[in-house]
Amino acid sequence: MSVFEAGSLGMFRDLVGENAVPRPRPLIDESGRYSGGDVDTHATTVIAVKYKDGVINIADRRATAGNTVMYDQAEKVMALDDHTLISISGSFAKSVEVVRYLRHAFKYYERSQLQSMSLDGKLQELSRVIANNVPAALQGIGAFIPIVSTFEVDGGGPRIFFYDVLGGQFESADFGSAGSGSGPIRGVFEYIIRTKGPFREMDREAALKESLTMLEIAAELDTATGGSAKYLPAAKYIVEDGIHDFTEQEVKVGLGKA
Amino acid sequence: MRYSPYEWNESINQRNDYIEDKLKEGSPVVALSYDNGILLLTLRRAQRKIYEIYDRLVFSAIGNQSDIESIRTGAIDIAHREGFTRSPDDVSIQRIVGFAVSPSIKKIYADPFAAPVVLRALFAELGKKPVDDQIFIVSYDGEFTSNRKMAAIGGTPYAESQMLDHVKSAFSGGMPTLDDAIKSSIFAWGIGRIQTDPDAGDADDTEPASDRNADIRAFINERVDEGWVVEAAVLERETTRESRYRQLSEQQLADAIASFKQI
Repeated sequence: MSVFEAGSLGMFRDLVGENAVPRPRPLIDESGRYSGGDVDTHATTVIAVKYKDGVINIADRRATAGNTVMYDQAEKVMALDDHTLISISGSFAKSVEVVRYLRHAFKYYERSQLQSMSLDGKLQELSRVIANNVPAALQGIGAFIPIVSTFEVDGGGPRIFFYDVLGGQFESADFGSAGSGSGPIRGVFEYIIRTKGPFREMDREAALKESLTMLEIAAELDTATGGSAKYLPAAKYIVEDGIHDFTEQEVKVGLGKA
Repeated sequence: MRYSPYEWNESINQRNDYIEDKLKEGSPVVALSYDNGILLLTLRRAQRKIYEIYDRLVFSAIGNQSDIESIRTGAIDIAHREGFTRSPDDVSIQRIVGFAVSPSIKKIYADPFAAPVVLRALFAELGKKPVDDQIFIVSYDGEFTSNRKMAAIGGTPYAESQMLDHVKSAFSGGMPTLDDAIKSSIFAWGIGRIQTDPDAGDADDTEPASDRNADIRAFINERVDEGWVVEAAVLERETTRESRYRQLSEQQLADAIASFKQI
């Protein structure tokens, strides 16, 4: 390997070639038949809400395969950079692979081009990854649907983006939720906003408490969402100076367990 | 065209003279471990000089800007390809410098018909523990040396050894704090730069140490007043941030720079 063969404009996809994620999979199998099926369910519940000073992300810790609980300590809220969190629902393996890819892609751009990739650039890259994953999703091997939360330090403040399975991107004014547990609690968001006011006016503790309550409800209504009996949910927040973990104590207080 | 051994020798000597003459003008860079990481520091006029290569790897160099840039982007490419296809833990200074950067430079240096790489580069890797920190210096001929705790690149070997002599004193009481490391590095920069700065006149080693220190402080002040900027970046060992690499802001450096104003 020589150092004198560089020169891609920060395009990580070009750099890693066929190792880029996701690897395209044909929808037509060798016998010429359409090999697609239904998009598999995306077991999990992840929640993102804006609050007064930033944005909170929480997620349950259960990873499932069919009816089996595979793992109860999964980390579904992951940092993409110092001000961006991605919360994933769906295939855990695929999600981890994608997050690894995106982290490298964003850092590679920043280090080689000496400037951060724009927010639009990052979201575009994520949309492309989801869109390229559609064939795999249709074959029932690895659909994943993320929520992206970020804090724009140059005045944009907290922002939340959610996606459909084709890579379509939507921005949310208040909150986002994904995973099989998100359906059952959809109405709870509305109820809280109507009775207690918008999340973006709450302080950090109040917004965490409401989010955790919703996660608990999701765990009760959805088998693929883990509760907090064995392991505490993952909880992080982003403010002006970056990403922080909620302490165990804060999460326990939010759950009413302290 | 065939070369006689004599001609080969001549051509190598001419190359060395040509490169070393150009490197003399370079603004020195100091790297040293402090109690929570590694600091790289230099003073510059315009072009940025300290760069992040990978999670635990930083780079700085003196020499031709285009050569610095191709080594920088090349090292970044290799580090990221390796870190993604294997693991970030597999990206090590030994592999990047020893197996990619050094052989590539050597190949060009040894080709009499290629323009040589005009550069003296410094790579620093943050270890899991302070004793694991490594600083490599790569020369224009591909040769590299491995250093612990501290290293410096400057216009001449003499300037570098003078700088190191000073930086050593920062470790007299164990690992320095970041503030102490910054102050020591700025002063070391002055020591290195005053040797080769065309405006500084000849540094006089025979004068008493106190006079010499005052000269160097005055020299640093003059450069700052002329608009030279202190550029410093760290790799932090313990951090809650996603990136270990951080450029220090003007604010964080202001106190250290101001301390040179007081005589």
